[in-house]
Amino acid sequence: MSILYDEGQQAIATESRRVLDARTDKARLLGLLEQVGEFDETFWNTAIEQGWTALALPEAYGGLNLSLVELGLVAQATGAATAGAPFLNTSYGAAMAILHGSDDSAKSDWLPRLASGDATGCVAFAEGSSPLPPKPAITFDGMMLTGRKPAVPGGLKADMAVVWASLGGRPALVAVALAEAKREPVSSFDNARLYADLVFDKTPAQLLAQGDDALVLARDVLARMAVVTAHEQVGGAEALLFIARDYANERKAFGQPIGAFQSIKHRIAELYGLVEIARANCIHAAAQEGQPGFAVAAADARLSATEAYDTAARDCIQIHGGIGVTWETGLHLHMRRARSLAIEQGNTLFWEDWLVDELLKGDAA
Amino acid sequence: MSDLDAYRDKARKWLESVAPEFGRDARRGLSVEEDLALGRRYQRAKYDAGYTGINWPVEVGGQGLGHLEKITFDGEEMQFGMPNVYFGISLGMPVPILIRFCEDKPWMKERVIAALKGEEIWCQLFSEPSGGSDLAALRTRAETDGNGWRMSGQKVWTSWAQYCDYGVIVVRTDPTVPKHKGLTYFWVDMKAPGVEVRPIKLAGGDSHVNEVFFDDVRLEDSQRMSPVGGGFGVALTTLMIERYVATDSAGFGPHLDLFVETAQDIDLNGRPAIEDGRIRSAIARNHAMRAGLDSITRRAMLMMQAGMQPGPEGSLQKLVAVRSRQKLSELGLDLQGNEAFAFDPHAFVKEDWGTSWLNAPTGRIAGGSDEVLLNTIAEKILGLPQDHRPDKGVPFNQIPA
Ligand SMILES: Cc1cc2nc3c(=O)[nH]c(=O)nc-3n(C[C@H](O)[C@H](O)[C@H](O)COP(=O)(O)OP(=O)(O)OC[C@H]3O[C@@H](n4cnc5c(N)ncnc54)[C@H](O)[C@@H]3O)c2cc1C
Repeated sequence: MSILYDEGQQAIATESRRVLDARTDKARLLGLLEQVGEFDETFWNTAIEQGWTALALPEAYGGLNLSLVELGLVAQATGAATAGAPFLNTSYGAAMAILHGSDDSAKSDWLPRLASGDATGCVAFAEGSSPLPPKPAITFDGMMLTGRKPAVPGGLKADMAVVWASLGGRPALVAVALAEAKREPVSSFDNARLYADLVFDKTPAQLLAQGDDALVLARDVLARMAVVTAHEQVGGAEALLFIARDYANERKAFGQPIGAFQSIKHRIAELYGLVEIARANCIHAAAQEGQPGFAVAAADARLSATEAYDTAARDCIQIHGGIGVTWETGLHLHMRRARSLAIEQGNTLFWEDWLVDELLKGDAA
Repeated sequence: MSDLDAYRDKARKWLESVAPEFGRDARRGLSVEEDLALGRRYQRAKYDAGYTGINWPVEVGGQGLGHLEKITFDGEEMQFGMPNVYFGISLGMPVPILIRFCEDKPWMKERVIAALKGEEIWCQLFSEPSGGSDLAALRTRAETDGNGWRMSGQKVWTSWAQYCDYGVIVVRTDPTVPKHKGLTYFWVDMKAPGVEVRPIKLAGGDSHVNEVFFDDVRLEDSQRMSPVGGGFGVALTTLMIERYVATDSAGFGPHLDLFVETAQDIDLNGRPAIEDGRIRSAIARNHAMRAGLDSITRRAMLMMQAGMQPGPEGSLQKLVAVRSRQKLSELGLDLQGNEAFAFDPHAFVKEDWGTSWLNAPTGRIAGGSDEVLLNTIAEKILGLPQDHRPDKGVPFNQIPA
């Protein structure tokens, strides 16, 4: 896959930005922060209408047969808009787990519905501080799932989950319909991510992979979601970069625009560096999909994008002074999203370890 | 036991005795109004027990003790989560300034004692939409009116204004001279006709700051606390006092112990996170930094006690501490992984990584932004050249907006 965007890809980038600009509403997004269990349905309907749910899924299941590159471009636009629904990442992750898993009925049950957006999926790997625990506490036994997964992104409204579980002491990946599961909403600093504890009590589930295969598949799913998320982070960071630049041109202190002060000017220039490095890593990672170097590329994208977005959030608020810390101005939408995305799919510590482990394996590209 | 240790012991015993009534457990779940009411009762109890105005003169209701006693008490008090935040600005800047610059001594004394008892609260009305860092760019104006003044304009970011009885304020009394020269300092009755307070909701969800509008508000000349046109000097004195209030090396966030606890409780790659090199490095660096700040503060207090001027390194406190709090809180959240998503906006910032992180940006702006503090250090302490300031020497009314 090329690391130059072709015309079609550029069109997706422009069009998704245009659509989201027109349909995102800051007041609505701010409102979502104060409610548990609501998400931005306008955004999600737009995503379905635009075919974003189908983008990176195979034609055989109603998908558009495009790739991580295109999905990444859309994710960048949603990141810029702090769009209020996690499913662009989570449904994609769930679909990838099913697609590369071994259960054909799971494919026909879920993939067409995930592609059309009729159903939404989530990915429940993490247990507390561990994004991919070596010995998951939740168990899969006799085709039934039992136990709890804490604070699953999208868990509150998703129709199905792909769960990292234990099967006879070895890991397993299973797909489970959430209609019969218990969900306990988590009141969060970023409520639009729909975090919920998922509680299963002998809930019927489908086995996608077990043992070493499960680990390989789970890591691939995580890496793919991390690449989508990294694009989203870059979109957010870039939006903040330009918000900061515009404000620095407009706000005056001591008889000149604050952008004339080196401390402000350099801060914005440094942000530019962080954003462009993260973007380059994202482009490279998306192009490496399915290649041997994908895991390393995903980790690079993930680490640099997390740094870019967190830093952009801190600095953009700082550059705004007092107005930057108000509810109304809404920069905290980005600050909150920067943090939630930094933790979903594994925090920085996890990805640092991942990257070094991959480098030690020596098969990095 | 030294005298100071005895003082600490006694203070601690008193704090322990009132903690069940006023401490953090008693405050859980209270609305701001209820918490403020509790705070006023606590402030009264503190006054009666002799722990208010510790280092202020006895003539104005203080205890006539030293800075060391004051900081000793504050250090102990901090651990109990008492409802004292509402009085921090009031007793930190405006009231000390009142003691120094108010001409009407009996009236002043009455106000100071009422403020010490928590019956009255004062705010500091400096910042404006067009003048934050550039304080002297403010536009609120007062014009002479008989033997007094008429004031109109708008202030912003006024902490606790909605609960305040009085405020200190800087206004423009002469727009035809360069910006620093045309300012005058007053006190203002926040309940006077023409004063309107509108709360601003902050990113963390609370609304302790306000916009304050003044529409033709009458000021008596006796409310003036500086020479006409000499307000900027008094404002700078106020800000100098402010810098010494910020002596919390945790940047008003959680103590490092909480991070160590978090790191001990949480598993990273099958071992307690505290065994991970990155976590140990973060702890060690933060510890060294905070220890340095604590030592600077202790030394400053000892010097003040001994009648000497503390060094300028005290100005590092807020700058360094709040930035590090922001980053450490991020790491605290990272460590908790998915468990970090559960969030209680009302948790205390000093004992919760989520609220600490969400509220940290305000600390890097309020009371002088990082950049402005760095400028002050570079220019005033290190003698580096001032930034280019195109408005320098230009009459205020000729500076392009
Ligand atoms: C929670 C909170 C409580 C507050 N309480 C009070 C209060 O009680 N009373 C009161 O009077 N004020 C209060 N303030 C106001 C506070 O003092 C100002 O917000 C602060 O001084 C910054 O001013 P500003 O918001 O106008 O930002 P601006 O001055 O517009 O600053 C914007 C950006 O430009 C930068 N900048 C400005 N000048 C320079 C320069 N020369 N060199 C480099 N960079 C520069 C700043 O650092 C900042 O990053 C409060 C603020 C907050 C957030």
